[in-house]
Amino acid sequence: MAHVSIPSYWKTLPQRYCLIGMQCKHCGVINFPAREICISCKQKSEFEPKKLSGRGKIYSYTVIAAGSAPPEFSEQEKLAGSFPVAIIELEEGLRIVGQITDYEPEDLKIEAEVEAVFRKIYEEDKVIRYGLKFRPVKKRKPLS
Amino acid sequence: MSVGILGYGVYIPRYRINKSEYVKAWGRFAAAGVEEKAVPGFDEDPTTMAVEASMNALKHAKIDASKLNAIYFASTSSPYAEKLASSTIAMALGAPPRVSVSDFTSSTMAGTSALLMSLDFVASGRGSFALVTASDCPYADPSDFLEHPLGAGAAAFVVGKGTPMATIEASDCATIEALGERFRKKGEKSIETLGIPAYTQTVIVNTVASSVKALMDKTGRKPGDFSSVVLPQFDGRLPSRIARKTGFEEAQFISSMIVSQVGDAGAASPLIGLAKVLDEAKPGHKVLVASYGAGASSDAVSINVNEEIMKRKGSAPSVKDYLVDKQLIDYVQYLKIRKMI
Repeated sequence: MAHVSIPSYWKTLPQRYCLIGMQCKHCGVINFPAREICISCKQKSEFEPKKLSGRGKIYSYTVIAAGSAPPEFSEQEKLAGSFPVAIIELEEGLRIVGQITDYEPEDLKIEAEVEAVFRKIYEEDKVIRYGLKFRPVKKRKPLS
Repeated sequence: MSVGILGYGVYIPRYRINKSEYVKAWGRFAAAGVEEKAVPGFDEDPTTMAVEASMNALKHAKIDASKLNAIYFASTSSPYAEKLASSTIAMALGAPPRVSVSDFTSSTMAGTSALLMSLDFVASGRGSFALVTASDCPYADPSDFLEHPLGAGAAAFVVGKGTPMATIEASDCATIEALGERFRKKGEKSIETLGIPAYTQTVIVNTVASSVKALMDKTGRKPGDFSSVVLPQFDGRLPSRIARKTGFEEAQFISSMIVSQVGDAGAASPLIGLAKVLDEAKPGHKVLVASYGAGASSDAVSINVNEEIMKRKGSAPSVKDYLVDKQLIDYVQYLKIRKMI
């Protein structure tokens, strides 16, 4: 995630905080993030909000090595060294990008089950930007 | 239909540091009865911890966030000195824009203050459902022994109209002016103490004993009437000192003890302790919760556990579920993660 201005961050809070996608009324496909034209049927359709479960599997991942993080993540990089970013295939079928948190190295596996958790993403101009990351589902009961 | 606790949930971050790490660094660990303590990850703060505890509480209560009329957040370590955390929590949970919110700060008794306020909110008819979340990770300078017991955690309670799993029977309080046993000046990051242990202990024990006595006088109950009591856990020794003064036995407070694994979670501690007791409680049990806030005041709350609790068992993660899921870190990692170096 590159730098996002406060107004555009603010406008997209439902997707960033609550994983609200927009379901196309024409073909039923969930668009995440929201778009003017449906990604599936390519129609200028009407959409309705659809809350996604946050449960899914790691479809693929990479580890952002020290020195290669965008500037807003430099503090995280300083504290954590490198950090993983994954493409998550949600149980609703769509794929989204997010960081993996609260993990141990052996948790980073394709197909590993994850769930969305609310975390600090980064801080810019002293303002905390919250959003969702993904956590491996392990011993503890999943959230939902 | 009556007013009471419809569900609850907790959150404890998975990082832990144990006392041997402190002994290696400082030669001693100045937190009696603490074996290890919870540490918030670098991407966590009281707001994020509150969100997870609240999600668990809503699930446990089987209440959708869209039904909430109030959200109260309690913490001594809110990430902002000015700017609501409860509004962030409301948005993250999916509460409606008409929800009434408030942040309760400046005191480790903020959790019970918010819980009692939420009960008043519903009982007075202002709304049908309120969510209270206490979430805290108090901070002190690492060179101060006061820092050693400080841990982290969150709890949340849904209070509302319906079939409560527990009802708040009565509450009472005791307030006195006390100076310097624990404080943080405006603009400061670290809590401090004048460091007179005998004085601190006397103020805490006497204030809590007074609120408990006021509650007993009001309800006509005796210490022996309670199956479990949740007493302030700034360290592991304090509950037994308070128990001695108030007439409780160790068997009554032992099931509420979280400080040995979580540390002092500030405003969240009394409510995490209550959650742990409720995890194991049976219908008909009576629970007393006493909080303490420096400066000084104490709330004592008497809670009756109802039949409904049996239907809710296992529907959200328990305190134990969070305690077993952990990752140990060393003292240098701790200093980094808490931004102490």
